[in-house]
Amino acid sequence: MSGAWRITVAEGVGELIFDNPDSDVNVLTSTHLASLDRTLDELSERKDLRALIVTSAKERIFIAGADIREIEGITTPKDATDKAEQGKAIFKKLEDLPYPTVCVINGACLGGGYELALACDRRVASFSTAIKIGLPEVNLGILPGFGGSIRLPRLVGLLKGLPLILAGKMVTPEEALKNGMVDRLFPEKTLKTDALAYAVSLKGKGRSPRKKDLSTAFLEDTPVGRAIVYDKARKDVMKRTKGHYPAPLEIIRLVSRTYGRSGAGVYRLESEHFARLGTTEVSKNLIKVFFLSEKYKKHRWTDTPVKTDGVRRCGVVGAGVMGGGIAQLVSAKGLPVRVKDINDKALAGALAEAHKINQGALKRRRIKRHQLEGRMSLISTTLDDSGMGTSDMIIEAVVEDLGIKQKVFKGLSEITGPDTVLASNTSSLPVTRMAEVCRHPERVVGLHFFNPVDRMPLVEVIRAERTSPETIERTVLFARRLGKTVILTEDRPGFLVNRLLLPYLNEAAYLLQEGMPCTTIDRIAENFGLPMGPIELADQVGIDVGYKVAHILQEAFGERMKVASILEEVKKAGLLGKKSGKGFYIHDGKKRTPNPEVKTGSGSRTSAEDALKRMVYIMINEAARCLEEKVVDSAATVDIGMIMGTGFPPHRGGLLRYADSIGALPILKDLERLAKDVDAKRFEPAKLLVELARTGRGFHS
Amino acid sequence: MAPKIAVVEGVRTPFIKAWTVFDHLSAQRLGAMCVTELVQRTGIDTERVDEVILGCVGQPIDAANVARVVSLMAGLPKSKRAYTVNRNCASGFEAVTSAVEKILAGQDEVVIAGGTESMSNAPLVFSKEAAGLFMKLQKARTFGERLSVVAQFRPKHFTPQAALQLALTDPTCGLNMGQTAEVVAKKFAISRQRQDAFALESHRRVIASRAKLREEIMTVHVPPKYAQSVSDDNGVREGLTPEQLAKLKPVFDRRTGTVTAGNSSQITDGACALLLMPEDKAKALGYAVLGTIAAYDYVGLEPSEMGLGPAFVIERLLRRTGIPLKEIGLFEINEAFAAQVLACVEALASKGFAQTNFPGRQAVGEIDPALLNVNGGGIALGHPVGVSGSRLILTCLREMKRRNVRRGLVSLCIGGGQGGAVLLERE
Repeated sequence: MSGAWRITVAEGVGELIFDNPDSDVNVLTSTHLASLDRTLDELSERKDLRALIVTSAKERIFIAGADIREIEGITTPKDATDKAEQGKAIFKKLEDLPYPTVCVINGACLGGGYELALACDRRVASFSTAIKIGLPEVNLGILPGFGGSIRLPRLVGLLKGLPLILAGKMVTPEEALKNGMVDRLFPEKTLKTDALAYAVSLKGKGRSPRKKDLSTAFLEDTPVGRAIVYDKARKDVMKRTKGHYPAPLEIIRLVSRTYGRSGAGVYRLESEHFARLGTTEVSKNLIKVFFLSEKYKKHRWTDTPVKTDGVRRCGVVGAGVMGGGIAQLVSAKGLPVRVKDINDKALAGALAEAHKINQGALKRRRIKRHQLEGRMSLISTTLDDSGMGTSDMIIEAVVEDLGIKQKVFKGLSEITGPDTVLASNTSSLPVTRMAEVCRHPERVVGLHFFNPVDRMPLVEVIRAERTSPETIERTVLFARRLGKTVILTEDRPGFLVNRLLLPYLNEAAYLLQEGMPCTTIDRIAENFGLPMGPIELADQVGIDVGYKVAHILQEAFGERMKVASILEEVKKAGLLGKKSGKGFYIHDGKKRTPNPEVKTGSGSRTSAEDALKRMVYIMINEAARCLEEKVVDSAATVDIGMIMGTGFPPHRGGLLRYADSIGALPILKDLERLAKDVDAKRFEPAKLLVELARTGRGFHS
Repeated sequence: MAPKIAVVEGVRTPFIKAWTVFDHLSAQRLGAMCVTELVQRTGIDTERVDEVILGCVGQPIDAANVARVVSLMAGLPKSKRAYTVNRNCASGFEAVTSAVEKILAGQDEVVIAGGTESMSNAPLVFSKEAAGLFMKLQKARTFGERLSVVAQFRPKHFTPQAALQLALTDPTCGLNMGQTAEVVAKKFAISRQRQDAFALESHRRVIASRAKLREEIMTVHVPPKYAQSVSDDNGVREGLTPEQLAKLKPVFDRRTGTVTAGNSSQITDGACALLLMPEDKAKALGYAVLGTIAAYDYVGLEPSEMGLGPAFVIERLLRRTGIPLKEIGLFEINEAFAAQVLACVEALASKGFAQTNFPGRQAVGEIDPALLNVNGGGIALGHPVGVSGSRLILTCLREMKRRNVRRGLVSLCIGGGQGGAVLLERE
């Protein structure tokens, strides 16, 4: 009984077929590995074979990887080492088969799947766009542990192999052919027959060494050269991760100890390094976040039978930076988009913004020149309502002023049919109030993009009082078509992300006002793992924008959201942040120095630990209130929202996952202390938190 | 009875002097902007649009069948058809009349027809001899071979010719368009003063009609910087004086000529798009149409007198339709050259011209100058060759609506010796 693995033989060439009987997907569970082990024992005895191809019976999936649940279940370093050793022992048997082996990649070939492919003598793939090839383990906080960390650099060379593992990059068949990860590409239709012919044509198991130019030879084959490569890689990783992620550094360490060496020892080293990562909290959190983000890509927010967004033309009202960014995003999906504003200067600005984003993509070679022209040709502009009436989805992105927004919505509702979704990109105003003035208010919804629109992966879809489930579903599907992860929130001030983020920024402002230097505050947040400190973020967002939202929240929630006076002072002084060159910092290109014009206190005695608690716990506390008020449905939604919407460090698992790792009781104690020492209102514990502390439960349990 | 084919709506870019504001905009980009705008303004479901037909004389070298490129760039479904037409200066007519033919033949029902032209982007071409050397150089493998090819190059090989200059020259009679205008001017004794006065009036009328013309023009925010937004044609000169015009030297015949840059049409970039469909179809879709294409015609004539094309074709069109000239309320004759328009008007009114050319027929009639090119013409606006025909139809239909005129006649002279005319009607 070999379970998921089958052997067939025709004309002396064997085919080893992987077909997981329990699922549409091929995944290497330990059961499947064990049965592969037995199958390989059988194959090694076959004297009648002159070659073997390894295939998948699943359409467009080769092997999606090892079973991530099993990786998540690893608890001890020994457990980790054993698992890695077992896997690579099996792949070693594949490698050692006495006849040439060819791996036939017909779809996703990732992680353990590609490590299996690497244990074959050759790899072929089809031209299918469904194919993605790579070793993405680093994204889960681990390293390839079935020999991939050794075999990939050996196959393609250090200069190409190391970055592939470090970035966890998944490549197309064409890229894989170019960098040597596969040897041949064939048409999808004839992949198997072409692979068979290729396997028969192979003279033996070996391959001739790669040709290298002089500089590659120096960097890969001399100790000095390699030292340069590792040093550069380490610096790049530190710059990118600020040292929060152990996996990439561990990978560099491993490769530096194994590249250029042979023998069983190097594989043993791989298992040891794997074990160091397999049990880390960072890895466990990254795996949780991975499952979370997969879930939210498909999560159904309503149970309506709506299957498509029904959007063939899109309108955008308001040609600011957001409007331009949204227009770019929509046009990039091949949809015509009409942008309306009240003057040509604004319209030209929106086009310039969209052009800038495309130009950036062109520079990074994500798109070609003709794609830029095609996208831009889909964006048209207007000063009147022409073209709006035939739009299926209109996104309002005018200034944050309820009166103006209501006027816009009223106008739009009168020129459009009941099936046109009217969405507001407001960051903090009540969508229900905009719906009130509309004909058919059930098609009015919030669709909150984050700045910069093309980069930020999250949107909040906001359910106003009368929004219909169909409208929500269509909006969710539309946002997903634009490549975004969606969370659904109720129509409460600040929705989810801004309601949590603003208290954090505000608290940072209080710390600054009390005399803690802005660089210190930012460093504390960055050390925690946030991509940017709060003061720098305030400057990026724009002090006036931040102030406006903070003020709306203060009005809605009273004393506990009281805006720090320093924010108002800075805004009044006209220091608006990066866009005006001066805010809390003075910005000079990419450099920034604290702005002496900002009057702060001096000699703050707050410790770094307390400063961090004040900034993070205030978010946790507010998140607890959001759950009490059912602004969002679950702690998981808070976590995905904060990771995707604010860059809350994924290795912490999300805001409430982080809270759970500390425990409600210690957080409650700190909040009570801060309420006494700092501010009674701002740190007054939320009921839910008190309840969790009393019962000893977590947000997620 | 054959259905009437309606022009539902139309839009054009501003007409922009070549090598100025639209210098970096390709013909395909201009065309795509225009078609996108037309689709948005009319709200037409692009699934209904069967075909895009565009006139273009200087086909962009990087966009073969530019109409297809435009159609896809503007987001029309890939399953739809598109082709490009070239009847030289009447390509913009040809696009529209081809659309009418396609619709009447039952091949298409809804068509976007128009034209696009970037005269700024007309290439420079190397001589055949130079091109041969460049090819040899590319094929050369050794240093010695390369050296021997390089040694054959002469300075003249590095002097490319402007494709635009070549395109504006008639290869059968050897004259360029300006020289044909001189031929006509001499034949009809159209003086320099009359030509300049006509040119001045063209500028005056465009300036007076700015607001009206804006109705047919879309605003273009100019890529890639988007620092400029243009809503007006920029060839027209404010404050132009007769003295300024009089100072200009004749371009095509330095000694005895009368045709100058000032009384000729300008070299221009632009695009225009019209939405056509059977009138009853338009009504069923709820459109108030601009008007219908009642009839059209093309004729051939002596290439060196191509400027007289409108005189010949108008005679033929009116004869065939049986409509007398006086029943036409509005005229557009493309202003390729002032001399040629004036000559056409004279010819149509002339008994002698009729006797010579249309034996047994009376003179066609007098065109009231007050009804001719009432919003100015190519001398002030420019003449993007593949586009002008569509522009004339659009401008005339909009003016017919303003004046509530039943019939309008638009006509063009065509390089190579042809004339084209389209009869427009409103209910």
